Amino acid sequence: MNSASYSEFSLALHEKFTNQRVPIDATLEITRRCPLECQHCYNNLSMGDLAARNRELTKEEYFKLLADLADMDVIWLLFTGGEIFARKDFLEIYAFAKQKGFLITLFTNGTLINEQIADYLREFPPFSIEITLYGRTKQTYEALTQRPGSYDRCMRGIQLLLDRGLPLKLKTVGTKINRHEVASMKQFAEQELGVEFKFDSLMSPRIDCSQSPLKVRLSPEDVVALDMYWPKIADGHRKVLQAEIGTPAVPVNTVYSCGGGLKSFAIDPYGHMSICVISHQDTYDIRQGGVRSGWEHFLLNIRQRKATRATKCTQCRLHSVCSMCPANGELENGDPESPVEFLCEVAHLRALALGFDVPEHGDCDFCNDPEQRASLKNSVRRINSQEITPAAWTGPQDILPILNSSQSAAGCGGCGAMH
Amino acid sequence: MELYVRSDAVVSRVIAGETLIVPISKGVGDLASIYSLNQVATTIWDTISHPRSKSEIVQVIAREFEAEGAQIERDVEAFLVEMESAGLVTEVGVATSS
Repeated sequence: MNSASYSEFSLALHEKFTNQRVPIDATLEITRRCPLECQHCYNNLSMGDLAARNRELTKEEYFKLLADLADMDVIWLLFTGGEIFARKDFLEIYAFAKQKGFLITLFTNGTLINEQIADYLREFPPFSIEITLYGRTKQTYEALTQRPGSYDRCMRGIQLLLDRGLPLKLKTVGTKINRHEVASMKQFAEQELGVEFKFDSLMSPRIDCSQSPLKVRLSPEDVVALDMYWPKIADGHRKVLQAEIGTPAVPVNTVYSCGGGLKSFAIDPYGHMSICVISHQDTYDIRQGGVRSGWEHFLLNIRQRKATRATKCTQCRLHSVCSMCPANGELENGDPESPVEFLCEVAHLRALALGFDVPEHGDCDFCNDPEQRASLKNSVRRINSQEITPAAWTGPQDILPILNSSQSAAGCGGCGAMH
Repeated sequence: MELYVRSDAVVSRVIAGETLIVPISKGVGDLASIYSLNQVATTIWDTISHPRSKSEIVQVIAREFEAEGAQIERDVEAFLVEMESAGLVTEVGVATSS
């Protein structure tokens, strides 16, 4: 018998499957209903949304799906939402998945975790549980979640899991509302609780095309200032960027170049299979054709789709520090191939703040337009001189209203409403 | 004579030709580790899907693999000790000799 650490196992398995198209990683978005109303969220629906609940896959449909996924050799299984515990039958679905031998990760906000759930998870532990923390203080947390009492419920959920020795990690998403508490959240997780913490500052429009999350999105300057505040994070960006810039570009002529549709896929609460959890223009109804067929035919076709044109991303050498991907292109521009200017600006700013010159990559305003270049240089100066630094942030930023902020405000096509 | 059987607190899966053992309940194995079995260990694992004595397991391995008998006995013994200490195999009683 060989006993390998998780990371050794994961690395060995990925190496074994190099150059093979194998579905080893599945994300099941089990419901979009959630007791919180986070201002930055891309998919949440209210707990009382009966129409949404009635459309969700039934428990029996999930049992069938999970059996199929096991037969397809899926290993890693992520349950996410919405809020997973918003489904009263979630633990039954989870128990079935455990019996099938998946390595299960749970994404939750922790607010619905009670003693019964925590005791059950202690008996049948997942591989990992990640709770998103929205603020270090009640005031900030609930400003983002818009739900009084949610902070205390989250803290209770965290404690219940910690008391039972469960493999908990915390994370947050940096927004205009909580940016001044990212550092204290990190300290709380790592120093006070002794658990891993990570954060991300990038967010996208809602999958129903509403732009509402963007009103709390950090500026590119603030995103990069957060990166640079922690040397370990800045070093991580520096290393991957050095490696990418130091090697010649490999021409890619397909729309997708990520792991979506190659090693992974996602299924939404209504049985729609897609390349990833935020991609919704091209979906396959597993209720009609089955998940194996979706993988073997539909997603293969999506994955092999040729790019229709070269963009400034095609020759860019900042991919390793850029979050641009076809799904983000869909959500922000209604077009998977259309570069997202916000993400482009963040990537350029990251590279410049780390001292890299951005290699020529075509028609890019951030490289070629004198005004844009001057603006980026000024931002780099302000970040590197710590004129902009998280240490100086003391409260939430002013939030300006934006157009197209209501749900289901279709228009860009990112939600598939134009199909 | 003790009988050995897979713990019902684990499940096994064959991924890319390799048998993996995944703990499903607490106190079994190490949650941060993944257990994988080589060919001989997989044969033992398949054999103990129902309770089997050590000598029965040794017989199965001797039929399937070319090795000296004493070596097989030592390997089976070592495997069972390791699996039992990790909680992946349990003893379920004593076989009566017929």
